[in-house]
Amino acid sequence: MNRLASLSNRTVSVLVVAAIATSGATLSAHDMWVEPTTFAPAAGEIVGVRLRVGQDLLGDPIPRDPALLRQFIVDDSEGRKPVVGRDGLDPAGYVRAATAGLLVVGYHSHPSSVELPAEKFNQYLKEEGLDAIAALRAARGQSGAVGKETFTRCAKSLLLSGPAGASQRDHALGFTLELVAERNPYALAAQQDLPVRLTYEGRPLAGALVVAINQSRPSERQAVRSDKAGRARFRVSDSGMWLIKAVHMIDAPPGSTADWASYWASLTFALHAPAPQRQAS
Amino acid sequence: MIAGRRALVAVGMVACVLVPRGPVDAHEIGTTRVAVSFAPAGRYDIEIVTDAAALAEKLETVAGPPHPMGTTPAAQSDSQLAALDAVFRKRLRLEFDGSPAHPAISYAIVRSADALSPPVATIHLNGEAPPGARHFTWTYAWTFASYALTVRSAGTAVSTQWLEGGQTSPPLPLAVPAAPPDRIRTAWRYLALGFTHIVPYGFDHVLFVLGLFLLSGRLRTVLWQVSAFTVAHSITLGLGMYGLIAVPPSIVEPLIAVSIAYVAIENLFLRELRPWRVALVFAFGLLHGMGFAGALKELGLPPSEFLTALVTFNVGVEAGQLTVIGVAFLLVGWHCSGRDWYRRRVVVPASLMIACTAAYWTVARLAL
Repeated sequence: MNRLASLSNRTVSVLVVAAIATSGATLSAHDMWVEPTTFAPAAGEIVGVRLRVGQDLLGDPIPRDPALLRQFIVDDSEGRKPVVGRDGLDPAGYVRAATAGLLVVGYHSHPSSVELPAEKFNQYLKEEGLDAIAALRAARGQSGAVGKETFTRCAKSLLLSGPAGASQRDHALGFTLELVAERNPYALAAQQDLPVRLTYEGRPLAGALVVAINQSRPSERQAVRSDKAGRARFRVSDSGMWLIKAVHMIDAPPGSTADWASYWASLTFALHAPAPQRQAS
Repeated sequence: MIAGRRALVAVGMVACVLVPRGPVDAHEIGTTRVAVSFAPAGRYDIEIVTDAAALAEKLETVAGPPHPMGTTPAAQSDSQLAALDAVFRKRLRLEFDGSPAHPAISYAIVRSADALSPPVATIHLNGEAPPGARHFTWTYAWTFASYALTVRSAGTAVSTQWLEGGQTSPPLPLAVPAAPPDRIRTAWRYLALGFTHIVPYGFDHVLFVLGLFLLSGRLRTVLWQVSAFTVAHSITLGLGMYGLIAVPPSIVEPLIAVSIAYVAIENLFLRELRPWRVALVFAFGLLHGMGFAGALKELGLPPSEFLTALVTFNVGVEAGQLTVIGVAFLLVGWHCSGRDWYRRRVVVPASLMIACTAAYWTVARLAL
C-alpha cells in the first residue's frame, strides 16, 4: 500500500500543484517558515535561524526587521530565551544548542498590510482553503472588491540536538495561530502518523486547511481539514525538510483600514534518511 | 544602531529610510537588490545582488529534477550559476520602449567569512540601450520577496522604488533633466537621518548619553561631557568619511558596548565630574564617531553635497542626543536631581540597567 493510500480513510486530499518556479505562475500568497542552518545541531553548536518567504519550500531569506518582530524565541529544556541577532541581517537570528533535546524556535510577527486585486485575492482564498471567507465576501457582494488585509506570521521550527526521544515534545509558544506537533517528529515509529494541533488564540481551530509539504516532493501535498479538536494527522515518513502550514482569516478589527486579518502558522522540521539496511550474508 | 559591518542593512533598512514604501505594503522585504546604471554613451549595467543558495535552488528546480531529499544545494560556484544562464533568463525581462533587450550576463559568488552567513551572488547584466530609447521596464521574478530597484543615469538623480518579485516596473526614463543639487533638501534629509540614527534607531547611543546624564544632575557636568563627546565623535566621523581612518566594525561595535557599560558602572562609584571622566568620554566619543561614519557610509553621501550632508548628519546626531538629554531632564532631572533619594532611586538602578544591557551587547557583539 502506498503512502497516500494508507491515509485514504481520512479527509485527505493530495493536491498536485505545479511549483511556482517551474510553472512561472504567480501565486497570490507566499508561505513563511523558519529554516535553520541545521536541524540537527551538535551540543554547543550555534545555529543560524533563517526566515524564508516563498512557495513550495523554495524561498527567499528575510532579514531581521525590528519593525516586524513581535516575538523571536527559542524554547528548550533550559527554558525560553530570545533569539538574538542583528537588525537587517540574514540569518535573522542565532540560537545555541546548549543542551541535548528538542529546540522549539518561534517567530511571531506584527501584522503587515497588503492589498490584492479581487481576482488574486479570491485565488489566494481558494488556494489556502479559506472557503468561508470567500463565501462571506460573496454574501456581502464583495467578491469583485480589492482584498485589503493585514497578515501576521506565526512560524515555528523544531530542531533536535542529540538523540531523539518520544518524551521530547513541542511546546505551545502562545502565538495567535499556532501549530503544535503532538508527537516528536524525530521519534516517530515506522508507519506512525504525526498529529499536529492547530490553535487560534489558544483554542483548537476546527475546519482549517492544514497542509504538509516535503522539500523533495513539494508538488505532492497532504492537505487535511483540522477536526473539532484542531487536530490533523500526516504521514511524514519521507526524509528531508517538512513544512506544515495553515492560514486563518477573520474580519479585521474595528478601526482597521483593512477588511480582513490573516494569520499564517507554519512548523518545520527535517528528517534524516534511514540508514540503509545490510543484507544478511 | 546601524553600523559598518551590517552590510545588508543598507539594502532594506536604509532604503526604507530614504524611500519609504507606500501605505500599501506587500510581502516581506528580502535581501535581493537591483541597481541599474546608465552611462552617458547608452551602455547599461544592471547589478543584481541576491542570496546565492536561494537562487540556485530555484534555478535547479526549474532546470531539472528536485534535489536529493532535504539538502540545500551546495551550489554556488560561479560556473554552476553560469551553466543555468538559459534558465535564469526565463524569469527576467528588460525592455526598451517595449522591445526586449538581450544583455550579456556574468555571475559571481562571494562566500561569507563565517559559516552561518549565506553566500551572495552578484549578477551583472550589460549591454547598450537602443539609440533614441526613452524608457525601459524591468521584471525580475526570481524572488518571492519585495526588493528595491535603484536607477542611476548619468547626470540625473538616483531613483529607488519597491517592486514585488515578478512585478514589472512602470516605464522608467533613461535620462531626465538633471536636477541641480538641492542643498537645502540634502541638508534636511541628512539632518533627519542623523537624528533618527539616535532616536529611535540608536538605542545604544541613547543609553550612552543617558549614562552621561545620570552622573550628576548639574547642567555643567552634562555639558562638559556632551561637549567632549561631540568634539570627539565629530573628529572621527569626519576622518572616517574622508577615508583617513578605518577601523573594522567588528572592533568598533563591541568597544561601543563596552564604553556604555563603563560609563554606567562608573556612575555607581562617582558622584561628580572628574577630569579623567571627561577624557574618557572624549575617547569613547572617538569610538562612537567611527560607528557613525560606518552608518553614514552605508547611507551614502551625494558627491556634490558631501560636506553639507556630513555636517548636517552630525548636527542631526547632536540634535538627537540633546533631545534624549532634554527629555531625561524634563522627566527626572528637573524635579528630582536635587532630592536626597535621586541617586539611590534613579541613578543607581538606571545605571545598573544600562550596564547590564551594555554587557549583554558586548558579549553578543563579540559572539556574532
